[in-house]
Amino acid sequence: MDFGFTIAAYAVAAVLFILSLGGLSGQESAKRAVWYGIAGMGLAILATIVGPGQGLWLMSLVLIAAGAAVGYQLATKVQMTQMPELVAIMHSLVGLAAVFVGFNADLMINTIGALFVENGGQLGAVVEGTAFTTVGLPGAVYNELSSFGQLIAKKSGVEITILRVELVLGIWIGAVTFTGSVIAYGKLAGKVDTSAKQLPGGHLLNAGAAGLSVVLAAMYLGDSGSWTLVLLTLLALFIGYHLIMGIGGADMPVVVSMLNSYSGWAAAAIGFSLGNDLLIVVGALVGSSGAILSYIMCKAMNRSFVSVILGGFGGATGEQMAVEGEQIAIDADGVAAALNEADSIVIIPGYGMAVAQAQQAVSEMTNKLRAKGKNVRFAIHPVAGRLPGHMNVLLAEAKVPYDIVLEMDEINDDFPSTDVVIVIGSNDIVNPAAQDDPNSPIAGMPVLECWKAKQVFVSKRGQGTGYSGIENPLFFKDNTRMFYGDAKDSVSSLLSRIE
Amino acid sequence: MKIGTPTEVMAGEARVAMTPDSALQLQKLGYECVIEAGAGAKAGFSDAAYKDAGVSVVKTAAALWKAADIVAKVRPPSDAEVKRLREGQTLISFFNPSANEKHMEQAAKAGATVVAMEMVPRISRAQKMDALSSMANIAGYRAVIEAGNNFGRFFTGQITAAGKVPPAKVLVVGAGVAGLAAIGTSTSLGAITYAFDVRPEVAEQVESMGAEFVFLDFEEAQQDGAATGGYAAVSSPEFAAAQLAKFRELAPNIDIVITTALIPNREAPELWTEDMVKAMKPGSVIVDLAAEKGGNCKLTVMDEKIVTENGVTIIGYTDFPSRMAAQSSTLYATNIRHMLADLTPEKDGTPVHNMEDDVIRGATVAHAGAVTYPPPPPKVAAIAAQPKKEAPKELTAAEKRAAEVAAFKKQTMTQVGLLAAGGVLVLLVGMVAPASFMKHFIVFVLSVFIGFQVIWNVAHSLHTPLMAVTNAISSIIILGALIQIGSSSFLITLLSAAAIFMASINIFGGFLVTRRMLAMFQKS
Repeated sequence: MDFGFTIAAYAVAAVLFILSLGGLSGQESAKRAVWYGIAGMGLAILATIVGPGQGLWLMSLVLIAAGAAVGYQLATKVQMTQMPELVAIMHSLVGLAAVFVGFNADLMINTIGALFVENGGQLGAVVEGTAFTTVGLPGAVYNELSSFGQLIAKKSGVEITILRVELVLGIWIGAVTFTGSVIAYGKLAGKVDTSAKQLPGGHLLNAGAAGLSVVLAAMYLGDSGSWTLVLLTLLALFIGYHLIMGIGGADMPVVVSMLNSYSGWAAAAIGFSLGNDLLIVVGALVGSSGAILSYIMCKAMNRSFVSVILGGFGGATGEQMAVEGEQIAIDADGVAAALNEADSIVIIPGYGMAVAQAQQAVSEMTNKLRAKGKNVRFAIHPVAGRLPGHMNVLLAEAKVPYDIVLEMDEINDDFPSTDVVIVIGSNDIVNPAAQDDPNSPIAGMPVLECWKAKQVFVSKRGQGTGYSGIENPLFFKDNTRMFYGDAKDSVSSLLSRIE
Repeated sequence: MKIGTPTEVMAGEARVAMTPDSALQLQKLGYECVIEAGAGAKAGFSDAAYKDAGVSVVKTAAALWKAADIVAKVRPPSDAEVKRLREGQTLISFFNPSANEKHMEQAAKAGATVVAMEMVPRISRAQKMDALSSMANIAGYRAVIEAGNNFGRFFTGQITAAGKVPPAKVLVVGAGVAGLAAIGTSTSLGAITYAFDVRPEVAEQVESMGAEFVFLDFEEAQQDGAATGGYAAVSSPEFAAAQLAKFRELAPNIDIVITTALIPNREAPELWTEDMVKAMKPGSVIVDLAAEKGGNCKLTVMDEKIVTENGVTIIGYTDFPSRMAAQSSTLYATNIRHMLADLTPEKDGTPVHNMEDDVIRGATVAHAGAVTYPPPPPKVAAIAAQPKKEAPKELTAAEKRAAEVAAFKKQTMTQVGLLAAGGVLVLLVGMVAPASFMKHFIVFVLSVFIGFQVIWNVAHSLHTPLMAVTNAISSIIILGALIQIGSSSFLITLLSAAAIFMASINIFGGFLVTRRMLAMFQKS
């Protein structure tokens, strides 16, 4: 670790990583930014492999190559609509890797401790010997150790305790990230029921498990042996599972960014225990990035972070307003006629568009309408979809130019002058109850005010409510028509009718 | 049961309450249809057309009233017609119940049920049977056409080889259904259209039809239109004065005035006074749609067209819908058909007079031997009450400055507070932790700080790529595994190997998928 070249390479890599995140402020600079990230990662790995105390580098390279092959397959095969799942499952890998590395550190401490005992010394005790090296081990034994082993051997008693605190944190966060991400993946991929489910006992169970973790951690620090660490890991795995099971599908954007943050903090904690600054830097960058994303998502839903984590929509204080009127259906001819007459059109996509894989059809329709000189724009709510920015990626995949894809704040004032709004598979983000009904569970959440447009068409599978289970008064408004059916089929049927 | 429609007895009335089309629909509800010979002639529907639609044609009114269990007609019944009502018979027509107590009592005494079409409450679900609106729509359109007929110039402005023609200026007073229809017709003919209404909330509707709303320089807590079912209420004397002053100012420049101001169950308010008429240019036209209730202009003569001394034509016709009998009969017959559809939920040709239903209860003025007018207020409010809008207080420059300074101070306070708290925390950690830990801790704190600074600038649309990239670089944990893999312990090597494998999946997968995503973002 004290090898100058390695440290220098780490410094360069850290700068490259910061540039790579900073470059994401714009679409064009982002393309360059990825290369910074890749270069930083390559440099860091190279520097570590050629660094001191590194054995088995051939095997390492083989493993990296194998991982690369799997990663390549994943990245090229994945459908853009499945991005949330992919991101979630990747988080779980980071979490598990952190757990493994943490355990290794514990094993190493034990090994070194045993070595010290063999040689008549004690780990962590400062020795003023002559026959031994400064750490208290015979020179030959010391030199046999891997770089990490040497690092531990040099530590004082307090430093060993701190090391253990760090690796407990790393393992705990890593384990929570692992099971949490697996469950999030299951929910996003539809393999686990997306509704909020908890074992009897609910959050008390989580709190109990967390409390027990603290006790176990204290026992571990008090030299009770590695079994405490194993038990603690199991508890953390349970917490990750149970915590995410209790969160409904609509909150997934927050969950995924939260897990993103956790994977970063786990890396940072491991970095502390390994004394590796690059791990700390990157872990902190990723951790704060995930935290900010979670904050932005929570703000977009007008909910506190705690209430998302504690699961479910709570806090309704009274009777919700009853919805008056009826949902009036319309057929493709009616929608097409309105589109042909409209000058300005806004499309509001939601998770339903992703589910129906309708983005290509939507893009084609957009091209056709734009070719006729109509002003077509997209309005994206921050929590549309199941991942921050999910809709942007889908529309980009379908080759919708990004300069007509606007954020909520940019377009909300334009609705009164809009002729036709098409809502494709979104529900809560266009729910006027958020503004009108103080008793609505989503009261105060910023929403797209599409009902102010002259006409609103809602493409929707059926009459059901959205993820939050809230009735949407938009569907009952006089200027709203319901265009029932699968989003892809519905939009495709419009294509032939737009002349 | 049989539904019958007699010929309208009132002179000049050309409408008919049943058309061949509506008869077909009524038969689907399970009814048989009867019509008096020649009833649809003036509206352009021949007896043969009715016969083709399966309607039986009877020779006389007497025979019709006898045959029909339900009589549908347009105008309020005459004395003779009311006498014909018998027990169990239902009459559906306009009835003018507020000024027609005698007939109501007669009908009730006879045991007949009377449904007055003008009493249909103004709620969303009853719109399909709101005959007042459908007739007012026609009246508004026709008023503009009549005005154009009597106006000597183009509506639209033109510049031709033969000279320049200024556009006509039209003022529509009262933006109800008729007013809005008049505005729409007038603007589509090309006239510059102004509109006024005592309910300021309709300004938006007026502007949506392409007219300019005339605002008064008058501040008064306006009564919410919702409280009166969307109809206008009587305004205060001060308001009325301000309104007249505004009209007086407009009068010399207006070519065509269409007044539609009616207040339910009252004489029409005088809005266009004699001096305004005098101020208008010769050749101007006034169409007074309120003529039946005394007129918004006192010079109006009901059912007649007069020309004043200064050459202003005032039209006081009250039969605008009847002048377009084909159109108005079609709409009215549809209103009647919808009313019957509501009365016949089972579609079995037997009406069920559900007095619990807001619409049916509201429209019924005589039922089961009793007069049921006026109805209780409907259970459902017709129009959602307008939320009271608090005008945002205008801040003076000094106040704004003060607010800015206060906000800045508060921001500074929070920032300093957070920094101080963070600093104290770091110091506390430094007191107990050894220096070797603190070296790394500084790196950590600075990195978190940089992270916060950098991530706030990331574009919203790039959040998914951001997650993929952070995901890839969080696999930096691979370094830890790489350092450990060289250990002599087999278990450590195994765990490290697994960690290296997983992390490298992430590195390659994460970066590749990010590149794939970013390559898709393109400008048009």
